[in-house]
Amino acid sequence: MTSDSSPASTVSALPQPPVDAAHPNSQVRFKSEGGRLLLMLPPEGDSEFAVSWNDLWQQLKQRLSAGDRFWQPNTSVHLIARDRLLDVRQLQSLDEALTQEQLCLKRVYTSRRQTAVAAATVGFSVEQHTPVTHLNAPSEATGQALAEPLYVEATVRSGMEIRHPGTVVVLGDVNPGGSIVADGDIVVWGTLRGVAHAGASGNPRCLIMALRLEPTQLRIGEQLARAPEKPPEQFHPEVAYVASEGIRITRSADFSKLRLLAPNS
Amino acid sequence: MTRIIVVTSGKGGVGKTTTTANLGMALAKRGKRVAVIDADFGLRNLDLLLGLENRIVYTAMEVIAGECRLDQALIKDKRQPNLALLPAAQNRTKDAVNPDQMKQLIEKMQEQFDFILVDSPAGIEMGFQNAIAAAQEALIVTTPEISAVRDADRVVGLLEANDVRKQHLIVNRLRPAMVQEDMMMSVSDVQEILAIPLIGVIPDDERVIVSTNKGEPLVLSQKLSLAGLAFDNVARRLEGETVPFLDFTASHDDLLSRIRRLFRSPSR
Repeated sequence: MTSDSSPASTVSALPQPPVDAAHPNSQVRFKSEGGRLLLMLPPEGDSEFAVSWNDLWQQLKQRLSAGDRFWQPNTSVHLIARDRLLDVRQLQSLDEALTQEQLCLKRVYTSRRQTAVAAATVGFSVEQHTPVTHLNAPSEATGQALAEPLYVEATVRSGMEIRHPGTVVVLGDVNPGGSIVADGDIVVWGTLRGVAHAGASGNPRCLIMALRLEPTQLRIGEQLARAPEKPPEQFHPEVAYVASEGIRITRSADFSKLRLLAPNS
Repeated sequence: MTRIIVVTSGKGGVGKTTTTANLGMALAKRGKRVAVIDADFGLRNLDLLLGLENRIVYTAMEVIAGECRLDQALIKDKRQPNLALLPAAQNRTKDAVNPDQMKQLIEKMQEQFDFILVDSPAGIEMGFQNAIAAAQEALIVTTPEISAVRDADRVVGLLEANDVRKQHLIVNRLRPAMVQEDMMMSVSDVQEILAIPLIGVIPDDERVIVSTNKGEPLVLSQKLSLAGLAFDNVARRLEGETVPFLDFTASHDDLLSRIRRLFRSPSR
């Protein structure tokens, strides 16, 4: 990918993205609210594609270590377990993992009786509520505000996928086989070698930025592009954006000029 | 303090078992009490490489099931009494054991040994989970091939998620001549992707095949081959010594290849 807003090699419209593509609830998420952290687990639902405990555990560990510089010691954590069934042992390992980062689990919100009982047994405050489906379900037609940006300090390795209903900033590399799916922009302060999908909920004005852009594939909104077969001779920080003819890539130094000259493009 | 180290790679056939056998032997030769554990239930190989197949009576499976004592299953190597092998069961599959059982088993072995090397099976399923259950550190073995590196990358991520943070990289089967001609990934190419500290580079060597067939690890021979020396160096680095990396290029860098490179470089 050379400079001067070269078109990325192959450009095509994405074949109808799967409805679940950036389902805001499909991964473990941390959210800070009023001085405490909310740890939100993906809902179990009734689908057979529900995230398994094993996957969930790995996501949690990744998120915990990817943000560990920013956890304030002794922040209280509220676990939003939704309709997920958790046993005593799983709750204990959640607590241990949080304690390692000096976070303390204080309260568990759940809509499952068994989870509530388990949490009470381990000694957490429990708040049980009946499932309110319309709150969890993604509202189809109305636009949703993006979540706060997710800052990830880690190498996103093969097999890791980071989904976030907002902008994602990665301090580290995204390796081949790894992928980032964000509803907002994607900024990689490192080398992007994997797959990046910005504006995953369909926003074509989102951007992908990387210090070194050698992606397997770029996706913005519903556009898709492969990297050129031949890698460029020199790498510069670059920005990928959607123009009328598809995804284009330009040096970041030229990108701001581009915006100034044609602010509406 | 016993060091429990898992030798793993993700991809099969990159040299996990060869590495385990040679490192185990090299560490034992240096006076450490070493146990090597074959965690590849159902497809065991480590006993073959050490030439101990015909001495297996009990396996790890029987110890876990409580059918025999640990010391009955441990096989002492005659050539090197500091080294013991805990063989895997051949008639079972990897799902016959769970990570907790494996962890308990290894914890029981701790007091008898300075080093416990666990030879992990290929893949990332149950067998892998069992192998890493008790590990405090990991040696990631990869060859300079894109598929091996990709799988190693996945494994590094999984180990991180399982709190095995201390990881070192071994690049196996390097062919320096091919690297110089730009036909093979170099060690630094591999390192750029995996981003974990390097502890050893093992050159490709036909003698590895011979030693496997004979059941005699390379590091045992009187006159060490280059690969044997490289394994020995890894063992020394594991113990905390600073050993410079071997220079494989010297013998290959003749006039002809230099001229060839001279012509190649501008065209890139």
